Amino acid sequence: MKAPLDIKDLQLIRPIRGAGTLNFSVEPGSAVVVVGRNGTGKSTLLQTLAGLLPARSGGVYWKGQNVHQMSPEERAGCSALVASTPPRSSAMTVRDVVELGLRAGGRLSGQSHVLSIMDEAGISQWANRSLNELSDGMAQRVMMARAAAQGEDMLLLDEPTAFLDVVGRREMLSQMGQWCATGRILWLATHDLEGAEAAGWVTHWLHLESSAERLGTFRCGPFVASEARAALMES
Amino acid sequence: MTSQRLWTGILVSCVFLLFGLGLFSGPADLGWGEQWSALIGNEGVAGTILWRLRLPRLCMAALSGAALAMSGLLMQTYFRNALAGPSVLGVTSGATLGVALVSLGGWAVGVTWGWTSAVLGALLGAWAVMLMLGAVVGWFRSRTALLIFGLMVGYLTGAMVTVLQAGAEAQALQAFVVWGMGSFGQATWSGVGVLFLIFSLASVWTFQRASMLDMWTLGRLTARSMGVNEKRLTWGVLGTTGAMAGLVTAWCGPVAFLGLATPHLVRIVLPTARHRSLLVPVMLTGSALALISDLAVRFAGIPLNAVLSMLGAPVVLWLLLKRKTVGENG
Repeated sequence: MKAPLDIKDLQLIRPIRGAGTLNFSVEPGSAVVVVGRNGTGKSTLLQTLAGLLPARSGGVYWKGQNVHQMSPEERAGCSALVASTPPRSSAMTVRDVVELGLRAGGRLSGQSHVLSIMDEAGISQWANRSLNELSDGMAQRVMMARAAAQGEDMLLLDEPTAFLDVVGRREMLSQMGQWCATGRILWLATHDLEGAEAAGWVTHWLHLESSAERLGTFRCGPFVASEARAALMES
Repeated sequence: MTSQRLWTGILVSCVFLLFGLGLFSGPADLGWGEQWSALIGNEGVAGTILWRLRLPRLCMAALSGAALAMSGLLMQTYFRNALAGPSVLGVTSGATLGVALVSLGGWAVGVTWGWTSAVLGALLGAWAVMLMLGAVVGWFRSRTALLIFGLMVGYLTGAMVTVLQAGAEAQALQAFVVWGMGSFGQATWSGVGVLFLIFSLASVWTFQRASMLDMWTLGRLTARSMGVNEKRLTWGVLGTTGAMAGLVTAWCGPVAFLGLATPHLVRIVLPTARHRSLLVPVMLTGSALALISDLAVRFAGIPLNAVLSMLGAPVVLWLLLKRKTVGENG
């Protein structure tokens, strides 16, 4: 039984003016979609949850343990982050990247494991191609597979579909649904509100507000998608 | 894997062949039998030539080549910059300034401590540049800025060395200029020993972190999310490459291009980017190139850095032509 993620009185280090405090408990199999305008702290939130950025106050607890007090290896075993920009310069092959993901998560059990992950993500046809030969969209799909190979319990995805075409985006969103169905916690920061809404697996919405007096304030609930859309339209 | 094993085998044979060629050939007119018995028994003039001159020189060349090549690979990975290398990023310049301060600036601690002071000077100089690189690397948005940083460090240390040269005594100046051309000929067993020790430690450290270096190529944030301890990796890479480049510079002079060009030559033939597979071939190729260059120095009389520049500059030009945005590729 996977224990939930607990966020207690969390304040982010950015944006500086934002004083939003987040209290949130997330059960296994949940999908939290983080929306908000640029500069409201979406990436900061995901990196803080991953333990890669310090919190200004409060804490993130994974199975009762503060993520900021875990070792980098321990953190890598429970959560994996996908950055918004895929690596453009690495000459690692797709197979190498997936293998490294399994290794980082401490779950590498052989080449057949690597192959099954690549099959699942639909990237085995590129197995021997280098990342720097792939397009941004293709590279991002590889990075998603790497994260799935690594993070057994939680995936933090920072605008991962920005580089994908319409079909790729739809495929990726349906794959995210499958990850949730296997009991993973999913955090997705995105501007693609319609896509996330249509995917049908979102359990929580989190809106980071952008108005000057409430910058970075957290708003949770089912109303958020429409509210966020209104805020985006307004601007 | 097979091509990697094949190439490793070829490279090991090359290094042994070149080592043997360097050991049993030279201006001294020695017969084969005489050389062999001198090598076994370390007797007579032949024994002195082999054991005091040729062997330490060849060991120093092989070790320096491997150490510089590994430094080049580590720096190219760490800075994600195809043009990174100890001589490009100003590490060698820093070491040169350290040696100049000791040998020309009279900071040497007594006469008998000459070499030790030069080694310490070179190490401190290399580490100082590495510290600066470590401190500023986060600020550089573009890869080109890093190369310009190295270039400027080179100009600055060059200017300081010129000032020291202007005020130096003729004898010290001559020794410094000759040292600056680069040579493996000044090697001593103690130098070989120290370099071997540091090189071994650095190799063990690097092999243990081969996967982390692989992850690092995927980007800083991704690597950190994969469990890479950024601080430890940074200081480990900067410390080991600084130590190796500094030590080689102290004994052999500022050796150009070997660190930059060798990893690329290996990448041409080996279809892998994994550090576990690249490290040994890169070290062996560095050794082989250093031994070939040393043979050219001994038999054609060309200074080491001239040989290496003729070898290395075309590689860099080829890289520029192959990838138009070389600064952005890694």
